[in-house]
Amino acid sequence: MHLIEIKDLCHRFSDGTRGLDHINLTVQEGEFVVIAGRNGSGKTTLLRHLNGLLLPDSGYVKVAGVSVSDDPIRARQMVGMVFQDADSQIIGETVYDDVAFGPENLCLKRSEINERVAMALKAGNLTDLADRRPHLLSGGEKRRLAIAGILAMNPKIVVFDEPFSNLDYPGVKQVLKQILFLHRSGRTILVTTHDLEKVLAHANRLIIMADGRIVRDGLPDQIVREAESFGVRQPYASRMGMELGSWLN
Amino acid sequence: MAELTVFGYRPGDSLLHSLDVRVKILSLIAIGLSSLNADLIGLSVFTAVSFALILNARLRFMTVLKELRYFLVLLLFVFVARAISMPGSPAFELKGVIFTREGLYHGTLICWRLLLVVLLGASFVATTKPSEIRAAVGWFLKPFPFIPRKRIATMIGLIIRFMPAILDQAKETSDAQRARGIENRKNPVYRLKKLALPLLCKTFQNADELAVAMEARCYSENRTDPSLSSGGNDRIALFVVAGLCVLAVVL
Repeated sequence: MHLIEIKDLCHRFSDGTRGLDHINLTVQEGEFVVIAGRNGSGKTTLLRHLNGLLLPDSGYVKVAGVSVSDDPIRARQMVGMVFQDADSQIIGETVYDDVAFGPENLCLKRSEINERVAMALKAGNLTDLADRRPHLLSGGEKRRLAIAGILAMNPKIVVFDEPFSNLDYPGVKQVLKQILFLHRSGRTILVTTHDLEKVLAHANRLIIMADGRIVRDGLPDQIVREAESFGVRQPYASRMGMELGSWLN
Repeated sequence: MAELTVFGYRPGDSLLHSLDVRVKILSLIAIGLSSLNADLIGLSVFTAVSFALILNARLRFMTVLKELRYFLVLLLFVFVARAISMPGSPAFELKGVIFTREGLYHGTLICWRLLLVVLLGASFVATTKPSEIRAAVGWFLKPFPFIPRKRIATMIGLIIRFMPAILDQAKETSDAQRARGIENRKNPVYRLKKLALPLLCKTFQNADELAVAMEARCYSENRTDPSLSSGGNDRIALFVVAGLCVLAVVL
């Protein structure tokens, strides 16, 4: 059974624009998928169908065999989503409260909430900032907090919408480390980006989208050279004919 | 932003930090109400206790006063208005305006009461986690069956979380407009309109994104209640405050 199964998914926005056009996609457990495409290609719209924030006009999305439309709450527990703008995702008055927000919504016992929050803060290297107010954090810290908030809900799949936007070099490295930690801990990762340079070396699959359709899907090394014809810059290493390198080295 | 940061929670292990938030709220209400009837002696007792608590909480007194500077200006207006409007025996005359003894006395009392309540409020906010305040509001609303207490508690949390973000946005919008010479336009209505419209648009847009983010994290009103606990110290504190309030009113 595929962890994510999408069949003939179409979505049209309220103003009539086509957001997704007959998407067919399956993702296996433990994969690290990068979804690339220029602005407006449908990346975010696709991600929002994975946890039922948007519902299909036709076709279906299944997570672990269950249709997202039938049980969006289950999908949201299984698919953690880190939004592009961390500021609008952070809800708690303090770092601790924000990480606890998700587990509280799952109606867990207070003792388990405290355990999960402590674990997520430790994983995000945020333990010392637990009492800090979120708006005083740096951009990188806010992004790490957003990820910690998702991690505390213990999802099987974590999707990142442009996780490196507006981050400086240290911020990118910290967030990348956190993404790799989640992948090593057995979670399936989907990352959307228009900047392949920072993450592609770690992915085992690259999907390129254009005009709401999947136009390329395969191993990063095999299709990365075609990225520029779809408005996505090819990483420097692959332009120079070299092997893709990690930003962490 | 600085105006808000002083009123934000500061971690610590003082007496005020350790008290149950419900006791702190009840004490604040009791002191506020009884200070309305308190005279010089009563207010002196409350002020002495407040100073001791502020010192114990290691809040910088001068910083608190500095952040309250606009409020102090308001108090000055209240004091002057009271001093010149209350009938009584004249104390002195300044440029034809007569300040009465009774006016000066009552003006001092009113300003003292207001300052006391604000200082206690600032110490309360500085020593109480916002999530505890949210939890306490939910707890106090429990007996009222038709009030959606969990929704109200969430809204309070969101206000505390987003007020600084909205002020940041206002500052950014204002700076961007100043960079394009809006100060050359002298009409305050025009300037207010040009600031308010983009700010409201951005705030509503952020609110939309926030709602989606909350939905993505499974938000519903059926969620784990925040934990509140009280102990012996809280009962003693409540007893002391009640005694002080009675003393302040009687004296």
